[in-house]
Amino acid sequence: MNLTQQLVNGLVLGHAYALVAIGWTVLLGVARLVNFGHGQMYMVGAFVTWFAIAQLGLPYLVSIPLAMLVGILIGLLVQRIMLQATIEQNLVSIMIMTLGMGYVLHGAAALIFGSTGQILETPLSSKDITLGDLWLTWQDVAIVLVAIVEFIILKRLLDRTRIGRLVRMVAEDPKLAELAGVNIRNVYLGVFAFEGAAVALAGAMVGPRTPILTSMGFEEVIMTFVVVVLGGIGSVLGSYLAGIALGLFTALFGALISPAYTTAAAFLVLIAVLVLRPGGLAARAH
Amino acid sequence: MNSATRSGQGITLEASDLKVLYGGNTALNLDRIEVREGEVVGVVGANGAGKSTLVNALAGWSRGAPKVSGQVRLDGRDISRMPAHERARGGLLLVPEGKLIFGQMTVDENLSALAGTVAASGRRVYDQQAVFELFPRLLERRNHLGSQLSGGERQMLGIGRALMLGPRVLMLDEPSIGLAPRLVSTVLQTMRTLASTGLSILLVEQNVAAAIDVVDRLVLLERGRIVAQGTAEQMRGDPRIAQAYLGSHHG
Repeated sequence: MNLTQQLVNGLVLGHAYALVAIGWTVLLGVARLVNFGHGQMYMVGAFVTWFAIAQLGLPYLVSIPLAMLVGILIGLLVQRIMLQATIEQNLVSIMIMTLGMGYVLHGAAALIFGSTGQILETPLSSKDITLGDLWLTWQDVAIVLVAIVEFIILKRLLDRTRIGRLVRMVAEDPKLAELAGVNIRNVYLGVFAFEGAAVALAGAMVGPRTPILTSMGFEEVIMTFVVVVLGGIGSVLGSYLAGIALGLFTALFGALISPAYTTAAAFLVLIAVLVLRPGGLAARAH
Repeated sequence: MNSATRSGQGITLEASDLKVLYGGNTALNLDRIEVREGEVVGVVGANGAGKSTLVNALAGWSRGAPKVSGQVRLDGRDISRMPAHERARGGLLLVPEGKLIFGQMTVDENLSALAGTVAASGRRVYDQQAVFELFPRLLERRNHLGSQLSGGERQMLGIGRALMLGPRVLMLDEPSIGLAPRLVSTVLQTMRTLASTGLSILLVEQNVAAAIDVVDRLVLLERGRIVAQGTAEQMRGDPRIAQAYLGSHHG
């Protein structure tokens, strides 16, 4: 086994996890919402990108915003339907509604795109980089760069802008935010639009790494869950670090022990961390 | 008498037939309450008399889920069906009891969150500078997180945030709770200063002794109803006020 290669794989995989998870981080941190249709929204993002490139002949750079637009529309639609449950913070209803929405998306995608696997090929995914023994694609490089840029933008947006302040107000205390003049419905809608755009972007970026199927999404939502909880719910930096840690863990575990048990092992790590540090890795000691 | 002539007399906030139900229980049942321009009205009464319920209902807000009926008018305009955030932006500001600032945001961020987004025609919208002039203590603490502030500083910050939305009517729920006596008088004296600029103030207080020195009128609530009201002078001698005043020593 080539350890350096596994570290590179782990870093790429980690940035992919972080990219897939970023929308949920904001969702859970701000709106105290869960979205178990997250994996299917990722799938739709990958398929819209594939459709735009392979069927419509659009360039990759046009296909990505198109997929994000579809993601935003799905996010807005879902949130509009769940708005009352959101405001009441009825988590059980939201969980069931988003699970059901995932199945609807899966069915709709199978109808539109067919249920055979596809390869999402981009101008970057077939271009290799070899450095001595090391091998990766330009798509991998793009995943790392896009993840880093997206996390930096998100962090600055939340910390330094008016929109970020509104989002943090709603995250901390939605009732008090109302008294401060914030229309919390709009914030909730905006957060779900971001979730839709972010996960579709992830689909467009990470989808090319593996064959895509309309039945996929389960592993993405599980890994996202691990990343978001490990990182400390709602912590942007925590999610980024947790994504990388999980990527390295998965790559090394797969190489050293067995790739068959990586998801189970990731969950074991999650449980261990929650027992030792209930607030997640990024939680401050009080 | 219709509401148009009433607002001609300088009434900024008025409510009529205001009823609030929690479950099946009536928490508030008021025929009428009003606040005039530049007036400080105190609302006093024992615990559970409905003081917080009253200001919350006026603000269209609650942490629970009560049933509210009745009419609320701000400058003669019916706002009964407006959600809380629109009432706030319309100039009816509530500084609630308990958690009243954002603990994970700095003083600056708390103040400037929505500053400059309100089109407040004819209302004085404070900027950060003016809030710091009113409460110099906040200027010293501007980069601290809300959670690091003392009780008095939190009150100042809550009031400052409200001022930056250009209030027409400012409602405060128990601003003196947990404050040192010196700070109580600072906060309450600020109410007089603000009222002198034409702002209407509705002040919920359990500390009747402190409140009676700064209010123009006092309203005594008991079991969700107004049982006595009058000018501060009239109410000073009222035995029910004396009783409530004594009660506050034990509370």
